[in-house]
Amino acid sequence: MSEPIYLDNNATTRIAPEVLDAMLPFLKNQYYNPSSTYPAAAGPRDAIERARESVARLVGAGARSEILFTGGATEGNNACLWGTLRANPDRRHVVTTAVEHPAVLEVARDLQRYGYRVTILPVDKAGRLDAADLLKALAPDTAIVSIMHANNETGVLFPVGELARLVKRVDPKIVFHTDATQTVGKIPLSLARDLSAVDLLTMSGHKLHGPKGVGAMFVRRGTRWRPFLIGGHQERGRRAGTENVAGIVGLGRACELAIESRHEEERLLQLRQWLEQSIQAKVPHVYVNGEGAERLPNTSNFAFEFVEGEGILMALVDAGIMASSGSACTSGSLDPSHVLKAMDVPFTAAHGSLRISMSRYTTGAEIDHLIQVLPGVIASLRRISPYWDHEKDAPRENVDVFIQEKFR
Amino acid sequence: MPWDYSSKVMQLFRDAIAGKAGTHFGSVPEPDGEGRHGSLQCGDAMEFTFRVERSPGNPREDRIVQARYQTFGCTSAIASSEALCRMLEERKVTPIQALSIRNADIVDYLDGLPPQKLHCSVMGAEALQAAVVDWARRREVPLADLGIDPAQLEEDEGRVVCKCFNLTEPYVRRKVKELNLRTIEEITAAIKAGGACTSCHHEPGGLQDILNDAWGVQPQPVAIPSVPLPEPAQAPVAASPRTARTPYQMAKEVERVVEKVIRPRLVPEGGDIEIIEIRDKKVFCRLLGVCAGCVGAHQTLNLVVEDALRQQVDPEIEVIPVAG
Repeated sequence: MSEPIYLDNNATTRIAPEVLDAMLPFLKNQYYNPSSTYPAAAGPRDAIERARESVARLVGAGARSEILFTGGATEGNNACLWGTLRANPDRRHVVTTAVEHPAVLEVARDLQRYGYRVTILPVDKAGRLDAADLLKALAPDTAIVSIMHANNETGVLFPVGELARLVKRVDPKIVFHTDATQTVGKIPLSLARDLSAVDLLTMSGHKLHGPKGVGAMFVRRGTRWRPFLIGGHQERGRRAGTENVAGIVGLGRACELAIESRHEEERLLQLRQWLEQSIQAKVPHVYVNGEGAERLPNTSNFAFEFVEGEGILMALVDAGIMASSGSACTSGSLDPSHVLKAMDVPFTAAHGSLRISMSRYTTGAEIDHLIQVLPGVIASLRRISPYWDHEKDAPRENVDVFIQEKFR
Repeated sequence: MPWDYSSKVMQLFRDAIAGKAGTHFGSVPEPDGEGRHGSLQCGDAMEFTFRVERSPGNPREDRIVQARYQTFGCTSAIASSEALCRMLEERKVTPIQALSIRNADIVDYLDGLPPQKLHCSVMGAEALQAAVVDWARRREVPLADLGIDPAQLEEDEGRVVCKCFNLTEPYVRRKVKELNLRTIEEITAAIKAGGACTSCHHEPGGLQDILNDAWGVQPQPVAIPSVPLPEPAQAPVAASPRTARTPYQMAKEVERVVEKVIRPRLVPEGGDIEIIEIRDKKVFCRLLGVCAGCVGAHQTLNLVVEDALRQQVDPEIEVIPVAG
């Protein structure tokens, strides 16, 4: 196979050709500022409203006016947390989870520096939350609960619709936010039905074959939330700044395409199951992180014992495959992924994670190629690992004792 | 993130994992020197062995003729291991001469390493040193002849400074001097210390203190931030309706009814109930056992649990299921 195989779709996706086509006119002739008064400016202005309609339709929002365009999910998450706290000054408590994306978790940690109390909910070994922990965390001055819809590393889904309803039963004034960056466009969701108790939802364009640098947030009518970026009347004063017209149009088109390709979910789920079964059959000592939990159909996260993730990625690149890892060595830090740590993945495997994330462009042949290549890659890295007995093709005898005594 | 490896690093990594002829993974059978460094928790670990051509009269003249490694780690850890073995075999040095190979030499051999990866080369140098010490023991060469202070090498035992990577104060101090490390960032890049939880950076006796000690910087008085503290939270007074019972009494009564009335009805059928939380008159609970997966779970809650609690504790009680 000469074309590279792209299996890192939770990081970003290729832009759909239809999306690019829809965007181009707004980078060329239709460059007018949507706020201008001459008739030509109505072109970009109307295009933004059509895009808003498409986003609203994909996420099942009741009204177009509940959708705001942002510069991406990171901006959206910052805006949700800060904007809610500013609008509810008497409430100084925030609840979130240990496995959130840094765009929520790091903001929460920053809030602590400003004197807010933050409760970080743990997950179990399969990456699941316990609703009882959430319930116990809620305080009389809880302002916001922020729980992601699906985890970017493991694909584990949280029942946010149900959790939001639970929170509202305790105190309807608590604002419920979900970072749905990894679910919008991948699985069906509706803010009118399953997510009807969710107040704020954030998403990003480039995770669903749209452009980078654009996203959207849903603000349910009546939510106590204050704009984060101010200094302009755009988006009804709720997100100032001249609109990224081409980006917004691209996002809108990407949402339409996502609606049309809803049938993809089943195919990806089958590919995922085929991949996981094959790897587990061919490679000893491997975990599927999040196994047993409900997960996104496109994401598999493996943890291979006694090998290191960056080496896996490097060897896969040589086989024409692009993927990612939660290994410390890939992140530039020295700590393995906070998500896998929160899930208490055994330390023998925590450094050997590999995330495969597919998209609707992923083919069965590509997954077959991965299944063909990956066992050999793991075997070759294990062959040079001091923890592995390459003659028996198994961890060396008494590996636990060996780890304890030979390597402190 | 860092993929800016030299082509030399990539070449050595590729050759090693492909098991090409001339690569050095594996271990020397009955080695003359054996050393290890790193750990599985840290994310890289190396086992290093060598064989010498013995000089009959004078063990100091032994020459390293074969070097092998087994390494768990990233691209640069594997390439550093391979580089070390190649350097030793190419140079045909004595073990004592080998001690002069420093991590910087490995980095040079690799045409450079990204700063975050320097610790991989340090690992090679450390494993080599441990193996030479092992050789000296076997060949009865006094350690002092190696120019090594034996006390220094007692695996640098002492107080653990970096708890995440289990690195001791003597070790960190020695490395700070040897590698001329001047900042916490440099320490982390070279030996990983302080690279995970970061709590040892500025704690008493932590990395900054060790740096100050080593390079003669006077400790600075800790500046107290002048940022005004946020207003203390006004705990909103819970608008609890006047009830005859305190929340504690209410909870006790709920508990009593659950034990005396509700569980006796569920348990014989293989089910059970867990009360998770009681807030005002809302009772959050979870059905267990056969009840949990039962299609009639909702009805059970309404007819059995809620009715009993309403009749026996408070007519306004609301029972709310919490999914498992």
